[in-house]
Amino acid sequence: MTKTEDYTPPKDGGAFYYKTMRSLGRIMARLRIEGGREGRRALPAALKIFLVLAFILAVALTRDRLILMGLGAVILMVLATRPAEVIWSVAKPALAGALLTAVLYGPAVLWGGGALGNGLVLILKVAMSIISVGLLNRTTQWNHLTGALRKLHVPGVVVFILDMTFRYIVLLGKLMDELLTAVSLRSVGKNNKKYSSVGGVMGVTFLRGAEMNQEMYEAMQCRGFTDDYKGL
Amino acid sequence: MHIPENYLSPATCAVMTAAMVPVWAHSVKKVKEELPKKKIAMIGVGAAFSFLGMMFNVPLVGGTTGHAVGGTLIALLFGPEAACLAVSIALLLQAVIFGDGGILSFGANCFNMAFILPFVGYGIYRLIVGKNSNEAKPGRIYACAAIGSYIGICLAALFCAVEFGIQPMIAHDSAGNALYCPYGLSIAIPAMMIPHMAVAGIIEAVFTVAIYAFVRKTSPDLTYDNIRLANPEVTEKKHTPVFALAAVLIAATPLGLLATGTAWGEWGADEIAEIAEGGTALGYTPQGMVEGFSMEAPLPDYTLGGMNEVAAYILSAIIGTALLIIIFKLLSMALRGKVA
Repeated sequence: MTKTEDYTPPKDGGAFYYKTMRSLGRIMARLRIEGGREGRRALPAALKIFLVLAFILAVALTRDRLILMGLGAVILMVLATRPAEVIWSVAKPALAGALLTAVLYGPAVLWGGGALGNGLVLILKVAMSIISVGLLNRTTQWNHLTGALRKLHVPGVVVFILDMTFRYIVLLGKLMDELLTAVSLRSVGKNNKKYSSVGGVMGVTFLRGAEMNQEMYEAMQCRGFTDDYKGL
Repeated sequence: MHIPENYLSPATCAVMTAAMVPVWAHSVKKVKEELPKKKIAMIGVGAAFSFLGMMFNVPLVGGTTGHAVGGTLIALLFGPEAACLAVSIALLLQAVIFGDGGILSFGANCFNMAFILPFVGYGIYRLIVGKNSNEAKPGRIYACAAIGSYIGICLAALFCAVEFGIQPMIAHDSAGNALYCPYGLSIAIPAMMIPHMAVAGIIEAVFTVAIYAFVRKTSPDLTYDNIRLANPEVTEKKHTPVFALAAVLIAATPLGLLATGTAWGEWGADEIAEIAEGGTALGYTPQGMVEGFSMEAPLPDYTLGGMNEVAAYILSAIIGTALLIIIFKLLSMALRGKVA
């Protein structure tokens, strides 16, 4: 009892699996629909979705650089009117997308030769499309978005699945994180059965998901749900 | 006044860039200490004014063109350090996206237009306007602003001319042909100074006073005199008129296309051999310009081949303005994060 304990558990296998699943679960748990805030004089969501789709289509189809430049000017102008936080959260994925495109397109420029202009246009097109979607996401509430999809005659089932997925993905992520915490708390030291519990964790997550699904459907039916979903 | 690629020897570029580093460091520090975070975002609008001012090319005597820079204007609105940052970033955008001014010569361009111009212009304004500028009459303030900006741009042009002028002395091949800028001090100084003193300086002064007077009347909380002295009478206001002015300037940028010549010292490598100076054409293309570093800008000279020039010019102005506002908004966010 007088000696200080110096115990470091021996390394056991499965660390990679666990870390991966854990971070997956954490990301899912964090994936709340980022609160898109609407101004008082915001355009109706249906119009915004239509505009964004038209914008992406125009960006993808245009071969005239003047038109591309005009579209770029429009999107940058809209972006410049937003607060800094929104700009950054929209620009980050756009930069990442542009970088990815640059990496993918790099070899073609290096070995194809002379296609730099086209590569640049491609990168700009990717960035502009991502910015437009990001702006839509950050300036519109999620329930207005799905409501607008319903108005644009997207079948009710599809909108319903979308809504439910985004609600439950957070719960499932949290569940997975909790299960993994439980496993690691119960396996101090060397645990040779760690690999075999991986399947268990996934299985329990799936079963629990199905259960929650069933419960919710019954609850909705009890409240008079007639399979006609109009959005939240 | 934008020095293009390969007009200065790499050594000159390195020295000028090294000289700018402490200036930039000081400016960032001072701006962070002095300006309220909200104002940092507004510097982007000042940078946009400078960017737009540089797009208005005006034909000058001798077939060249010139333009206003607006460095003193931003110094009057947000202080000389903020002006240094604003003009530097405007110049960076011009160099990287619009091919106006070189990448290697970016340091030299910043030294002339982002350091000498706003600091000298603002220094002279403060010197002659007197200690308490808030009590001075508006007429006196505007006259001092005009004189400050005029001297600022002329001195910047002088520095630019000296940088050009020393090139034949420090870089030439065995035949005596210059490697970079082929004109010595005796040609470069009058060629830069006469048009700038006669026309561009006056345009800069008019540009500065007109916009400064407008801002003083519509958004008095945006002037450096009030920020510096923390004038309690001035309250925050909506800045809609300032943005409206920027929109008007954007719409008017194609006027800059009326000037057809190329500014002195901004010729492409393909034109320089035919430029006649003092009666005789140069007759050769300096070696350094043929083999030097060059980068293809996405939108060279604010337009692309086969485009409608007017539309491309307006769109370039919009893109530049929006980018500057976005950059400074993000900058203000980054600085706020560090302070908190």
